[in-house]
Amino acid sequence: MPTTTEKQTITVALIGNPNTGKSTLFSGLVGVHQHVGNYPGVTVEKKTGQLVFAGRRFELIDLPGLYSLAARSRDEMVVVDVLLGRQRDVAAVDAIVCIVDASNLRRNMYLISQVLELGLPTVLAVNMLDVAENRGIRLDLACLERQLGIPVVPIQANRRTGLSELKTVIARLTAVPTTDSARLAPSSVTPLPECFEREAAQLEADLNDGESVANHWLPRSLARRLLLDASGYLQETLLGSGDGRWKQRLQAARERLAAADCPIPAIETSARYAWVQQVLNGVIVEPSRYKTTVTDRIDRVLTGRFWGTLVFAAVMLLMFQLVFVWAGPATELIQAGTEATGEWISAHIAEGALRSLLVDGIVGGVGGILQFLPQIFVLFAFLAVLEDCGYMARTAYLMDHLLVRVGLSGKSFIPLLSSFACAVPGVMATRVIENERDRLTTILVAPLLTCSARLPIYTLLISAFIPDMGFFAWLNLPGASLFWWITLQGLTLAGLYLLGIVAAVAFAMLFKRTLLRGQTPPFVMELPSYKWPSLRTVVFRMAERGWLFLRCAGTLILAVSILVWAALYYPHDSSLSHQEQQRQSFLGQAGQLIEPAVKPLGWDWRIGCAVLASLPAREIVVATMGVMYHMDDDAEAGDERWSERLRTVTWDGTKRPVFSVPVALSIMVFFALCAQCAGTLAVIRRETNSWRWPAFTFTYMTALAYVAAFVTYQVGTWLSC
Amino acid sequence: MKYPRTTKVIPLRQLPPGESAVIARVLGHPDHVHRLEEFGLRGGIKIEMFRAGNPCIVRLAGNKICLRADDLLHVLVEPIAA
Repeated sequence: MPTTTEKQTITVALIGNPNTGKSTLFSGLVGVHQHVGNYPGVTVEKKTGQLVFAGRRFELIDLPGLYSLAARSRDEMVVVDVLLGRQRDVAAVDAIVCIVDASNLRRNMYLISQVLELGLPTVLAVNMLDVAENRGIRLDLACLERQLGIPVVPIQANRRTGLSELKTVIARLTAVPTTDSARLAPSSVTPLPECFEREAAQLEADLNDGESVANHWLPRSLARRLLLDASGYLQETLLGSGDGRWKQRLQAARERLAAADCPIPAIETSARYAWVQQVLNGVIVEPSRYKTTVTDRIDRVLTGRFWGTLVFAAVMLLMFQLVFVWAGPATELIQAGTEATGEWISAHIAEGALRSLLVDGIVGGVGGILQFLPQIFVLFAFLAVLEDCGYMARTAYLMDHLLVRVGLSGKSFIPLLSSFACAVPGVMATRVIENERDRLTTILVAPLLTCSARLPIYTLLISAFIPDMGFFAWLNLPGASLFWWITLQGLTLAGLYLLGIVAAVAFAMLFKRTLLRGQTPPFVMELPSYKWPSLRTVVFRMAERGWLFLRCAGTLILAVSILVWAALYYPHDSSLSHQEQQRQSFLGQAGQLIEPAVKPLGWDWRIGCAVLASLPAREIVVATMGVMYHMDDDAEAGDERWSERLRTVTWDGTKRPVFSVPVALSIMVFFALCAQCAGTLAVIRRETNSWRWPAFTFTYMTALAYVAAFVTYQVGTWLSC
Repeated sequence: MKYPRTTKVIPLRQLPPGESAVIARVLGHPDHVHRLEEFGLRGGIKIEMFRAGNPCIVRLAGNKICLRADDLLHVLVEPIAA
């Protein structure tokens, strides 16, 4: 018998279906005292909050929203582990708060049936009673409480009513500490049939037998889930692959059950829904016909082929407008601030390694990250609004028929769209995709889409080398005066965007057919009712994601920036001229070493250096090229415009200019397709939880970029001959 | 609850918008059928076609669910005579 020393903090888990107002209830209960992190080893968000009431400390865990405890997706696995006390960094759960949507009680109760089997003190919080009433659903909560045998509390999470009653019930439920022996009570109720329960009891006994698989008692609820979970996740994590003895034993048990007319997994849904029917008998009165709601009226427009697509296009346009235009002034302010800081340091610190490190390495690196913050925050805020008001699910519906042709589903749309601003939030947004293979494919192709960091190099090279003239005039076609607005420069930029999209589509198809082939589960998704977005939720989510971006991408970009700075600065010989110093630096040596490899692309060793130096982030290439081609001894050159300066650069020891249209195109095509972004690679590592996928992304994208740049230069040179 | 039913069983995709039906059977891989059942799409449940096509949107007890069936998953329904 374990000793029952009273725990300092009582752990309460909050569980429910998605779109039930779970996060709103969580925020309502804990306020700002919340912490967002990750469960170790998996990319599932871990949200915890502290609260004190009735003289005791409570830790509330906001579990991911889900429809079932069948451990198939990452979310479901984590929830099962937390509830069964198997999650390493979470204390054993003392009580459970289940939140249900009153307007969708039947389906919500399915999960409740699974939760009640755990035998832990549980309270049911019934939310959205107003929505149910609007739909003409009448509920008798007192009757529900009697038939369920657990406390039932009506709440209105968005208006924060019923929260104090809920707290009182939680305090009452946990007044007597949950002992370990109570957690392991073998006879918690279950709606599953007797023959199943017999197998579960036998399995429980086997599990805890002499040849025990764990050093503590494994409860009946675990045995049940082990039997039901045909996907093999629990079996593998709990029993290991071993000698296959457990696999055989489970398989035999399932076969016996199938023979006894209890086929797995079908028996679970039929038994649970029968239980739901019984529990809700006399509790719920539904209208014979559901009337048309406001959401239905909005959906009639927003999911329609014509108006739906039109509104969708307008929303996307607004998003790009916000990200690229309205975030502009803030970005410029940060750039100006970075420059001013660099100049201030230059003026106050004597020339030397320290000054160079501060100005070129740190301030340059930090500035490079910070200038993307306004865009990232605007993007996150916009996405949070779309998500909170319910439109996000509609975009997935609208885009599904396009993405299904690539082998993905509508859920990949928002991550891919975000990648046009920055691949980091794009990769972060893939968490909504439950199917692992779809998610991984989306992650792998997202960096191919043209992000805003590619724009500086595009605008620089396009304005310098692509003639500023109409496309029709260039081809000597008639109608040049009519189509003056179709310019060569504009077409080049559009072509580069298109190149990214085509590459992403092609590689998504390729990955789904080769590397990530497999059976795709059905695409089912709830379309939640529309509601006004809550400012609180939007600000919270924006701050959360923004901080994650800074921590994840920022630190690595800074670290690599410092490394690149050191490679360009050392070995240092102050007696040498600027150019000579560059040539003999580590980076310069590396550039000369790879010159034979980049020559077929039309690049000299300085471009090679700039590309190497842009490993932390693509936009660095512009600054590095500035450093590489800086003409110290020419005082007037400093005032010349960038693009004009580039045109005068020649190959070492010759008068042949380095840059030409094919070279400029080859550099741009390379940057359109390469993976020169430490932030993206870091976030892929974080989201896939291994170095394998970022390494793969880097390899395939670099190879692709190299080949494409090679073809561009060679074909371009041949054409211009 | 009993609804007046026709005896005809048709695939869900043939149900015209605005019409109601009772799900007769969901056919497919047991895991996929299980998943749909967890979503509330199971035999005996009344649904209404909101937006036809693939994916389609159905109304289920006042809520909306978007579903894309494929060659491996079939939802068979019995239309309710209006």
